[in-house]
Amino acid sequence: MSIVKPCLDALRITFRHLGRKPSTVMHPFQPRTRAARWRQTFALVHDEHGEEACIGCKKCEKICPSEVITVVMAKKRESPATGQKRGWADDFTLDLTACIVCELCVQVCPVDAIVMCRAPTPPGGAREDLFLTMARLYTNEHALPRAPITGTSLIASHSPAEDVAQ
Amino acid sequence: MPFPHDPILHALGLGVVLASALLGVTSYFIWFERRFAGRMQGRVGPKHVGWEGLLQPVADAFKLLLKEDIVPRAADKPLFHLAPLLAVFVALLGLAVVPLASGLVIADLDVGVLFFLAAGAMTVLPTWIAGWASNNKYALIGGMRAVAQSVAYGVPMVFGALVPVIFAGSMNLSEIVAAQAGGHWFLWWPPGPGFLAGGIFLMASLAEGNRIPFDIPEAESELVSGVSTEYTGMKFGMFYLAEYVHSLVGSALFVTLFLGGPDGPGPDAMALQVVWFALKTMAVATFILWIRWTFVRLRSDQLMTLCWKWLLPAGLVVLMVAAVWARFVPGGAA
Repeated sequence: MSIVKPCLDALRITFRHLGRKPSTVMHPFQPRTRAARWRQTFALVHDEHGEEACIGCKKCEKICPSEVITVVMAKKRESPATGQKRGWADDFTLDLTACIVCELCVQVCPVDAIVMCRAPTPPGGAREDLFLTMARLYTNEHALPRAPITGTSLIASHSPAEDVAQ
Repeated sequence: MPFPHDPILHALGLGVVLASALLGVTSYFIWFERRFAGRMQGRVGPKHVGWEGLLQPVADAFKLLLKEDIVPRAADKPLFHLAPLLAVFVALLGLAVVPLASGLVIADLDVGVLFFLAAGAMTVLPTWIAGWASNNKYALIGGMRAVAQSVAYGVPMVFGALVPVIFAGSMNLSEIVAAQAGGHWFLWWPPGPGFLAGGIFLMASLAEGNRIPFDIPEAESELVSGVSTEYTGMKFGMFYLAEYVHSLVGSALFVTLFLGGPDGPGPDAMALQVVWFALKTMAVATFILWIRWTFVRLRSDQLMTLCWKWLLPAGLVVLMVAAVWARFVPGGAA
């Protein structure tokens, strides 16, 4: 007979919910606030000298779980701005159709070249819209507001400057 | 009498009017259930088609009518087409003996309770026909489950319904209603047996109608959609409708047997009686919804355990207590 009390409890709980306000937000009719950390599509950015920041190290390509990033590495050559030798990417594509938006590419980037954006609308409706070519990724840099999270800030937060004694 | 004195014409006219009214009520009952369930789950439910979603049943009916009617190549076609029609017919059948007010009954049978129980037991027929004729393993398993369940739960349902019959000394539903006049409803008078019998009857009638938490013939998480797996469009819609009609007619019989039928305060006018009857039926139907949206589905063996090991012995004991009460307590039986 121990089943009677849980049954009554269950009935009480569902009855109590009858009087509560539904938690549904009627989205297209009602404005919905987005969290400050909300972000969706990607952008490639330029560094402080106005050069393409990506050094073509392929770390993002290797870590990507759904293997949607393709980076074509170029030969190292001198940077026109600083005169130092550095790596470059010849091509960089990101296929959003299979992207799971795990942001690992952003987290692993040593030079903060790839970032996520706070786009106000979904990145696209057609299949072609969801394939981010290098040109589109660089267009996104200025076209869309940028999320504050970058690879180096995340790497820094995960590895404190000094080891803490256990 | 609102209809001609010829009994057949009277029954036919009243039958058509009541069946149409019931079908209309059922479609809005489905809307009500969806809003009700929505609130219980912190959702809103349908509210965009028409004012507060009131045109949703119409939209649903149009959607179902416009869908492609698929008949599996290997189906037993005559039976496949027959099952949904029979489902609605059998579900409506029970309405024939339920008195909505004194004198307002399609067929005032002396074996009304027996007729209703027989009609209720027949719901297994369209379900099994659909399960067999679909030629689909899930439908077949669903059909077999429905048979096992209906055969089992028919027995405690009879015991539950027999208690008011003993107290009223009649199987005529009008006389059962008359015996409860003045608020002596069998659910609480005599105290004890009527209440238990009502509980047993309600549970068993939920199980007969294959409603949650006894919906193992449909069990969508294990059997796709059970017996209605192969049905599309309006044929599926008819099964859906039949389930709700059965639930409403079952509530109406519960009201008649245990809640005094059209008995209620106020002058003895037919219109008021119908209102009382409708209000009570909706209250019972809402209680069934509350149960439905609270509990999870029972496993097959738990279902059988509940029936054969709990409801059936409990029904027998309640029946015996009722019989003793009716025989030995002065004024215990009408």
